[in-house]
Amino acid sequence: MKEEAGHPFLSFDSVSKFYFSRGRILGGRGRQVVALNRLTLDIRKGEIFGLVGESGSGKTTAGRLIVRLEDADRGSILVEGQDITHLRGRRLKDFRRRIQMIFQDPYQSLNPQLSVFDTVSEPLLIHRKGDRLSRREMVLNALQSVGLSPPEDFVHRFPHQMSGGQRQRVAIARAMVLGPDFVVADEPTSMLDASISAQIFNILLEMQKNLGITLLFITHSLAAARYLCDRIAVIYRGNLMELGSADDVIQRPRHPYTQALIDALPKFGQCGEAARFNTFLKAERESSATIGCAFFGRCSIANRILCSQEVPPLKTVSPGRQVACFFAQEQGKNLPASKTCYYGI
Amino acid sequence: MGRPELKGDIEIRSRQHWIDHFFEGWSVFWENPLGKIGVVLLGIFALMAVCSFVPPLIHPMYHPMTGVDPDIYSSVGPSVRHWLGTDFMGRDIFSQLLAGARVAFMVGVSAAFMSIFLGTAFGMIAGYMGGFVDTLLMRLADVIMVLPTLLVVLILASLFGQLNIWTIVLIIALFRWPGVSRVIRSQTLTLKQRPFIEAARVAGASHMRIIFRHIMPNVLPLAFLYMTFRVTAAIIIEAALAFLGFGDPGTVSWGMMLQWVWKTGHMFKALYWLLPPGICISLITLSFYMIGRAMDEVLDPRLRKEEAAR
Amino acid sequence: MALLEVEDLSIGYRTRLGLHRAVEGVSFSLEEGKSLGFVGESGCGKTTVGMALMGLLPRNGIILRGSVLFEGRDILAISEEELRLLRWKKISMIFQAAMNALNPVKRVADQVAEAILAHTRSVSRAEASRQVEGLFQLVGVPKNRMRDYPHQYSGGMKQRAIIAMALACKPRLIIADEPTTALDVIVQDQILQETRLLQEQLGISIIFISHDISIVADVCHDIGIMYAGELVEYGNRNELFNSPAHPYTRALLSSFPTLTGNREMLKPIAGEPPNLLNPPRGCRFCARCPEASEECDSFSPQWIELSPRHKVRCVRFRRKEGQQ
Repeated sequence: MKEEAGHPFLSFDSVSKFYFSRGRILGGRGRQVVALNRLTLDIRKGEIFGLVGESGSGKTTAGRLIVRLEDADRGSILVEGQDITHLRGRRLKDFRRRIQMIFQDPYQSLNPQLSVFDTVSEPLLIHRKGDRLSRREMVLNALQSVGLSPPEDFVHRFPHQMSGGQRQRVAIARAMVLGPDFVVADEPTSMLDASISAQIFNILLEMQKNLGITLLFITHSLAAARYLCDRIAVIYRGNLMELGSADDVIQRPRHPYTQALIDALPKFGQCGEAARFNTFLKAERESSATIGCAFFGRCSIANRILCSQEVPPLKTVSPGRQVACFFAQEQGKNLPASKTCYYGI
Repeated sequence: MGRPELKGDIEIRSRQHWIDHFFEGWSVFWENPLGKIGVVLLGIFALMAVCSFVPPLIHPMYHPMTGVDPDIYSSVGPSVRHWLGTDFMGRDIFSQLLAGARVAFMVGVSAAFMSIFLGTAFGMIAGYMGGFVDTLLMRLADVIMVLPTLLVVLILASLFGQLNIWTIVLIIALFRWPGVSRVIRSQTLTLKQRPFIEAARVAGASHMRIIFRHIMPNVLPLAFLYMTFRVTAAIIIEAALAFLGFGDPGTVSWGMMLQWVWKTGHMFKALYWLLPPGICISLITLSFYMIGRAMDEVLDPRLRKEEAAR
Repeated sequence: MALLEVEDLSIGYRTRLGLHRAVEGVSFSLEEGKSLGFVGESGCGKTTVGMALMGLLPRNGIILRGSVLFEGRDILAISEEELRLLRWKKISMIFQAAMNALNPVKRVADQVAEAILAHTRSVSRAEASRQVEGLFQLVGVPKNRMRDYPHQYSGGMKQRAIIAMALACKPRLIIADEPTTALDVIVQDQILQETRLLQEQLGISIIFISHDISIVADVCHDIGIMYAGELVEYGNRNELFNSPAHPYTRALLSSFPTLTGNREMLKPIAGEPPNLLNPPRGCRFCARCPEASEECDSFSPQWIELSPRHKVRCVRFRRKEGQQ
């Protein structure tokens, strides 16, 4: 495993991001919504790190902060020790050469007026890499490596002439063509059929292996995260809930929210009811948005007094494994190891 | 790897795509009766404009401005020598009508082109930059939009005397960009939110690059659509100015012809002189309008789909 | 007599480039109170089948062959008027986009009440809103949300309201087309549980359409796997998952990442589905099939019964039987 080899490539240092819902007609700023609440985590060089959460959990915001599509309100993001939250101009452009992003919706992330060649060669043009001939060679190689072959058949196509899976490959080729050190993949398969998703996963795996890229994989799917990632972090309403190696977190979940997520996955095959954790409250409990545990309102094992008043600190329960729950030790149940029980994505 | 050499190949193929695209759009356009009539009408006017060079070559008396029939001293009706008759000083109306078509195209297309150019540029900049620049440009647009074009041109004309035809074109262009810029701005605002723009930002693209490479190709079709409507407006304004006597006296436009009819007191006495320029103005504006409407349908797939579902 | 019997249904779309053969020779039957799921990639014709059952094909869609018997009546042959009476009262539909089709300026509860009033003349307004209350309770919308507008509802809540609307006229059959695709896993799980429960309590038959095999497996008794417009495997859920027969079904299953067991390399299905403007002569999966033989290329496979509740269309099985 890469665990001991990697030192942090990218770190979130107590990063917070707030949004303001639209205020009244005259009343300035509206209600504050916390997208990220003091997120602190390290992503090691050369690993695939998974950020798992539901919509509105802040996982996409975290990715957008890294590529500087948005700016953090508090805290800083360090890349190899350098604070990137305030980069501007020339230095921001140089930084962007090293960090790329793959977007969620391949139907929206490609310019409909540009051919595949123009789309993939654009980063090369922007960063003045190579001449005409070598650029073409790089584009063709990038297309080849994402499995669009023969690439000559694809360079002249336009987005509307391709399937969703093919478009997403073009988007991956665009992100990879500059040879970045770090790539943020924001739910790259959520718009695609389950059967196409596997193709995209394998391309990402292969790229990471061949080019030694560090990858942040943002997803709502635990199964996808387990398949791709070395380590994963589960976040809920902007708060880090659980962090550890992918297999460990999924097969031995310790946080009631992670357990609720696993419960919710559609299952088929021979599963049996024993597999359930039942940590999710059907009826939401009254809870404060600012104090106490973020999951308090939905947690069936919560202590009414403790959990509603105090934010559980991130505790290390075993080497490399952190859980933000007062009762993490007591949650000893594991996922059944049955191979005949399939979980959905 | 022995990859076949295809230096120009990529470009040629993407050009082929544009041709495909054009023909697909054209077939939708052509299925629309409005578009068909508009194009045919416009073709006739274009032919007239091209033919306007012919009569003076046949005989100097057919020159629309300076050619005078030596045997005729007043306005007479149609004859074999003068198909549509002559004006008050014996000039051939038919050759004037042909020359008027040329002027209409010149004024209409160049004024529309300039106003679309300004409107698109300002609209994109305002929409993309937002904030102070947006406010400044849009307030300027508002101010210009509420100024009555015709009145301002009349005042300018009375201040500076007779206006040259190109000055008129320029004034029309300067007064007609705000409407376009509003539409382009709102289009830019929606485009700005699209992930492909964000993807370009992440790739490190500069503002200029995003505007010209990513936003412009997506707003240009809309800009061209508006251009057809602006052509109509420009032709009408020029005709109105000319009719009111503020036209360029050195140019034979249809509005000018109408002014001559009126000024020489032939208004309802010489219909052969009054009707042709009047009809031509109506038809050419109609044809541009119909082409615009048909183009609208090509460009707006949503509209097309609803039609099909009905 | 089954509630719904579909025989040799074939549907095409007229397009600029010719006839797009979206569905070819699909046959199945659905018993009262049972649920059936269709699984396949996008463009495999599963949605088209659902639309045809509701009589809601788009204008360029044409039924080429086949019959659809609902309660013994061929609903492809009846008039538009009769069909309209059938829809909602006997057959209703839940689809993904319905969530966003709620009228934003009307209360959700009123919209459901209107659906009841529009289809049952004898009911008064008060009676209808009393029924809505019952329905909302059934699908798990709290009573105090009755007077809310759509924008005050979350995605899951809207989808529940849509289910309530589908149940409003006590239909015998519900067609659900990707009803949970836009929802988060936890909400999706709740909706699926609700669906299963309702189906058992009320004895409604359900046809469930999704690209995600796990969702369908969660809800349905029987499952049909569709590929490029054809049904390729059909059977009882357990039998189908215990011994998936068609190469496509197996490929579909092995392209799923799992939570348990070892992490193995997924084997995605290579290539793209065939162009249905000009479908291949033989087996439609042939070009992507790792086990294809020469026979597959020219020969459209027939149904082979593996057990009374499990059948498959693949030539491999006839061969195997011959050998045994």
